[in-house]
Amino acid sequence: MKDRYEKIGTILILLLPVAFVFRGGYLQEVTGYVYLFLIQGYVAWFLFFKSGQPFFGYSVTMAIGAYGTIVLTEMFNWPLFASIFIGAALATGIAVIMFLSTSRARGFYVSMTSFLLAILFPRLIEALQPITGGRSGLYFGGLNALVGHKTLYLLVVFLTAAIVAFFLWIMGTKTGRILTLISENDRLTQTVGLNTRKYKILAYSIAGFISGFGGALYVNYTGFISSVDIEVFTTLYIFFIPLIGGSRVFYGPILGALFVILIPELLVPVERYLRIFFGLIFILVIVLLPGGLAPNIQKLLAKISQKKDV
Amino acid sequence: MILNGIITGLIMGGVLSLPVLGVAVIYGITGIPNFAIGVIGVFGGFLTWYFLSFHMGIAILIGVAFCFAIGYIIQRILLTPISEMGGDATLFFIVTVSLGFVFEGLMRAIFPRPSISLALPRIGTINIAGVTVEGFKIFALLFALGTLVIIRLLEEHTEIGKSWQATSQNLKLGKLIGINTNQVFSIASGIGCSLACVGAIFWGSLYNLNLMSGWDLGFLGFIIAVVGGIGNIWGGIISALIMGMVMSFSGYLLGGMWQSVILYFIVILVLIIAPKGILGSERSL
Repeated sequence: MKDRYEKIGTILILLLPVAFVFRGGYLQEVTGYVYLFLIQGYVAWFLFFKSGQPFFGYSVTMAIGAYGTIVLTEMFNWPLFASIFIGAALATGIAVIMFLSTSRARGFYVSMTSFLLAILFPRLIEALQPITGGRSGLYFGGLNALVGHKTLYLLVVFLTAAIVAFFLWIMGTKTGRILTLISENDRLTQTVGLNTRKYKILAYSIAGFISGFGGALYVNYTGFISSVDIEVFTTLYIFFIPLIGGSRVFYGPILGALFVILIPELLVPVERYLRIFFGLIFILVIVLLPGGLAPNIQKLLAKISQKKDV
Repeated sequence: MILNGIITGLIMGGVLSLPVLGVAVIYGITGIPNFAIGVIGVFGGFLTWYFLSFHMGIAILIGVAFCFAIGYIIQRILLTPISEMGGDATLFFIVTVSLGFVFEGLMRAIFPRPSISLALPRIGTINIAGVTVEGFKIFALLFALGTLVIIRLLEEHTEIGKSWQATSQNLKLGKLIGINTNQVFSIASGIGCSLACVGAIFWGSLYNLNLMSGWDLGFLGFIIAVVGGIGNIWGGIISALIMGMVMSFSGYLLGGMWQSVILYFIVILVLIIAPKGILGSERSL
């Protein structure tokens, strides 16, 4: 029952920024940006933290969705929605290929391979500059030109809430429970006769598709993408979203995204110190608050309410 | 062109082999992958550049000593305690990348220029089969190979080297026979970071160093070490020389933009086909 309330609460919190559309401007712009990364954060939450798959190529799947959409729409004149879908499908393909090709390896080698892909991909984009624009990037009208920025913002908020609702739902199903079991003890799950490979492919497919779809949404919302947007640090920031926020609670990635995406916005005047601040915070959270911010905030609130009662 | 490519590749590989050696020493002894090693090494390179106008020898000493101290301290107060708490490779990856953020941020905050070139004295040119090569580049290659030999001799013939071997082979037994494993780990980490610093100084003198070079040197150092068989010093060096050739020839044939694309592509293929590296490794991640 508690889980159910937490899930409903998480979705309601996600829908609150709908109100920002009345205010518009900077607040709306930044919220949209946070939500686009929140989609990727929930992908990491689902694949890495809940399904136990050591994948670090989030910026790659996101970029494939984004570039796939632009290239198919602008260069091959495909319809926009078909391009978005194909872009997401291509990201799914890459994620599954990564899993299949590294399935002989174990543990950190899989992480390393996907992480190397995250280093390789922006360089590939730069090497293919005539098509991708490299560091100068590509501009894209897409949905923004089609429906307007306010509608697109609302679409981003509702789609993010729907994606999060999907992830929360799937973790409560039999498939979700098997994925949790795999993350806790892969061998044991195999021993009880479950085809873990099938479930892992499913997890990579879901994560790849949603990450690619999120990438397509990103480029439609921001109207621009370049190799700088998808450099290796993007994958790290995405991974840090559930890690910092807390992966054990459903709303953890929301806190993480607010922290990872919003703090740099607030610290623009002291931008040169940003990396020091982030690095130290990441280390402190990992060492001192291994569960992330959310469970510790919960504990703090519980203590405060206990004191009030006394 | 072929000979030129081979010589350039050997030199690139030789300089790269220093951070690779740093990774191999740290991982081979402590079992902890440190991804911040390149950024710490480049920080030392920037420090050397900062003091270079005073005195070259002192400037290099300051850079290398600083990196040793940093390597020693982070191992002592952060990485060993996390290891004792049962931290896995993924946790070390996250923690050391975060450490890299801190040092990259410090470089941004402290040093006035984002890109530097270290003006070390040149030692003329040497003619090898009709190809003219800068003497300093040959010195860089010989220095890298000499460092490898020294590390091997240190490992085989000194007390501290034997305690490294004992600790890396069986940590519990090492502790039982009275080896101060914390000290061994910290010294290994200090040496690894110093080697990365020397690599960065050479790189900064032959090419240039910028705020992001540390990530490239660190990740390249790490993946080249992985390709060679992580913790396997010889494998690391051979792999560094091969990768230097790959970089050199892909640069010549396809242009600079494709250099690292081809390199990372080959490394990914090696990881997929032979996850334990080309020469294998006793340790695995």
